[in-house]
Amino acid sequence: MKAFFVGRHRRNGELILIILGGLVTTGAYVLASLGRLSSIPANVGPFLGVVLGLFFVAHVATRFLAPEADGLLLPLAGLLNGLGYVFIARLNDELAGQQALWTFLGVGLYVATLLVVRRSTELERYRYTLLLIGLGLLVLPLSPVGQTINGSRIWVRIGPVNFQPGEFAKVALAIFFASYLIDKRELFRAGTWRLGPLRLPEPKHAAPVLLAWGVSLIVMISQKDLGTSLLFFMLFLIMLWVATERLAYLLSGLALFMVGAYVAWTQFDHVQTRVDGWLNPWADPRGGGFQVVEAQFGLASGGITGTGPGRGYPQRVPAAETDFIFATVGEELGLLGATALLMAFVLMIGSGLRAALGARRPFSKLLATGLTGLLGVQAFIIIAGVTRVLPLTGVTLPFVSYGGSSLLANYAILALLVRISDEQIDRAADAPTPTRRRPKVAA
Amino acid sequence: MNRQIRQLGIALLLLFALLFARLNWVQVFAAESLTADPLNTRRVVRDFGQRRGTIFTADGLPVAQSAEIEGRFARERRYPQGPLYSDVTGYFSFEFGATGIERSYNDELAGHSATQRFESFFDFFGDGDVSADVTLTITSEMQEAAANALGDRRGSVVALDPRTGQVVAFYSWPTFDPSTISTTNLDAARAAKVLLDDAPGAPLLTTAHRQVFPPGSTFKVITAASALENGVVTPSSPVFPERVNYQLPLTTVTLQNYGGLTCGGDLARSLALSCNTTFAELGAEYLGPQPMIATAERFGFNNAPPFDIPLSAESRFPSDFGAELGRTGQTSLAQIVEGSSSLAQASIGQFDVRATPLQMALVAAGIANGGQIMEPHVVGLVTDSTDGAIIERIEPSPWRDALAPEVAATTANMMVQVVKDGTATVLERGNLTVGAKTGTAEIDTSNGGDDTHAWVIAFAGPTGGEAELALAVLVEAVPGGGQQAGGAVAGPIAAAMIDAYFN
Repeated sequence: MKAFFVGRHRRNGELILIILGGLVTTGAYVLASLGRLSSIPANVGPFLGVVLGLFFVAHVATRFLAPEADGLLLPLAGLLNGLGYVFIARLNDELAGQQALWTFLGVGLYVATLLVVRRSTELERYRYTLLLIGLGLLVLPLSPVGQTINGSRIWVRIGPVNFQPGEFAKVALAIFFASYLIDKRELFRAGTWRLGPLRLPEPKHAAPVLLAWGVSLIVMISQKDLGTSLLFFMLFLIMLWVATERLAYLLSGLALFMVGAYVAWTQFDHVQTRVDGWLNPWADPRGGGFQVVEAQFGLASGGITGTGPGRGYPQRVPAAETDFIFATVGEELGLLGATALLMAFVLMIGSGLRAALGARRPFSKLLATGLTGLLGVQAFIIIAGVTRVLPLTGVTLPFVSYGGSSLLANYAILALLVRISDEQIDRAADAPTPTRRRPKVAA
Repeated sequence: MNRQIRQLGIALLLLFALLFARLNWVQVFAAESLTADPLNTRRVVRDFGQRRGTIFTADGLPVAQSAEIEGRFARERRYPQGPLYSDVTGYFSFEFGATGIERSYNDELAGHSATQRFESFFDFFGDGDVSADVTLTITSEMQEAAANALGDRRGSVVALDPRTGQVVAFYSWPTFDPSTISTTNLDAARAAKVLLDDAPGAPLLTTAHRQVFPPGSTFKVITAASALENGVVTPSSPVFPERVNYQLPLTTVTLQNYGGLTCGGDLARSLALSCNTTFAELGAEYLGPQPMIATAERFGFNNAPPFDIPLSAESRFPSDFGAELGRTGQTSLAQIVEGSSSLAQASIGQFDVRATPLQMALVAAGIANGGQIMEPHVVGLVTDSTDGAIIERIEPSPWRDALAPEVAATTANMMVQVVKDGTATVLERGNLTVGAKTGTAEIDTSNGGDDTHAWVIAFAGPTGGEAELALAVLVEAVPGGGQQAGGAVAGPIAAAMIDAYFN
């Protein structure tokens, strides 16, 4: 029971934030029902009970399993997940039922991950296993169990369940990258093999990384999943840069990416469609530009304060529950609600990077950076696609979009971040000294 | 590694700040233009099936109203007068959005304007009906007169009060029945839209303000007014030679009078007889490019008029006639330029000059109103549907000062001469002062045809009083139909409009 009391100041803050998030979610749920059907939903009591109960379980698990963990991560995930659920329910009852189930499983996975991974450094031992699992998951959709949905072959069907193995592959590969790069970072940093102005590590040492990166990119391109390949690429670059502390890797990687993007643009129809739909969606507003144009109209109709939950027309945008959920939020909650969502992501990124900064083991530090980078970059590229800052690449908005695989993978990421943030406190000391107390995160 | 992690944090923060900035742009600064985008059917979808006010003519006839129905939608928009007011009301369709007043007054009709929202906010005990009715300035008598006079000839009739800009008739043919596109039977609506999109004469593209035509001789009033304003002529001096044709500057090409007739005299006489020779020379050799362009633009050319029916086209007068070549013409007061022969033709409303019937009606209105063109509008009043309280009254507002008052008066007098003793005698009315100008505009004759558009612009008022009515009539060329003279073909339509207004 000692652990229960050690981190209580953080855990109490977390509990308060979870209750606040539950109330916000329930409020939005009631408003959506009022807006759509002019009635308060009959199950509002049970709804609040389930939302609070679910995250209370996660909270108690954290209290025991990671008592000194950051108190902001879990409530933020709960808030994003809850609001996402409200808007999915407002768009599609059937998907909402499934999303509720996935949320249960996600929270379960969160607890399980905390239970199994008692120290983040334990993961290092499984790095090649995870590499194989990651690559296997990536290739899986190309096997006979794979399914092509909306032009992308990134799905696998097992029994009644469709899932995207790529979502889990990114976690496995992040762990592998973190472990391998930390191990070999001196070699990467010293770089004895010259290529023009660049000094690169011996091909022998770089091989596993290049293999992982190359296979994931090739697989992604063959599956026509631009968003996820961009995500993998950024994950790899960020981790390489942070591990080696050499900006040249990041810059040359970005330059390589530009070249690759240009080649892809000249070679692939589906890339051209996306770029055209970004540069001038009005050129083909009923075809390639339709989704983006309708999303802009939706966001514009939301204005500053939004139409109110349930009172807009977000269903006019194809994929409003998944990739375009941000347009739904922007339409019905307006600039204020959309900004709140952005802030939630910024805070989540902040918490993740704070965990990275505070981590004592280089592996944990790099892993937390990579996982946070995944969340942040993924949220950025889909919101940027929806708001026409970047060409649209279909990825889910973490915790908010409908999607079982994505939700489960994100809860696993969340659990790992929580785990790493818990390890900042030196366990040798029985209790934190007053000077180590941090201001309450809720402030 | 901590330094890199911090840098990563800053980079991500900047990226999210970029998203925030972009959201501000999309949701606040560009929101209005995105909402007004013709492809944006959101408002219509929102308002479809909701309570919606009625559109009335000035004399209280409902021309667009919502009927309660059973089915997927609670209400359906109907147009009891059929095609008669379609160019004014537009349609209100689930899939194709709204056009016309249904579009520009959508917020008021649906109860979403700022005033109405404010009202509904405090209306705790009401039934929540904040929709407003819209009353047009168009009268059923004038609109019917226009439709009867034009019949099923392609063309347009626009009539307005020059003192206020209130449009009293706005009719074009071919036209369409807005009910067919506004129906809640969406398959039928889609089929009707496809049919109308492909129909000859583009009924959905209102002739009166969305299509442009060479204005022909009606444009001569602008050339005359420009010459008077710039002091190069007076109505009685000089006397232009009586001749059959005029040799275009720098060319061996000659420009004929209508029907190959001999024509000439002072400015007033030349306008009454519509001498091409006089006005071509006047524009090219007395005035030159800059004064002509300036006067045409003061009348509203190269600008879309502010009009409450959306999507008015811009009428065009060429803005470049090439470099100056020096005074090489025999009689020329103005510099001869590379494009002087084009300018000569532009001065009689040919070459690249194009105008909407609305624009030409505004030319007549401006001359009749002492040189000032008022903003044209078809909506007069917005009232609360429940208690009839006035929400908005559209007040007269000046658009352009086209001419100095004395120049306008002189030009108006010359137009009166056109009716008394010129090409528009058909418009002479004993108890009225009527001024007019006819036009017979050649269309592209490259295929050897000589088909022409027939035009009349006119104003009328009680003798000795100010003009109360200004109008433009266009009867489009019929392919293979040959010449149709403005006075003979469009004149009787204008006469019918004047009779309908003053009787």
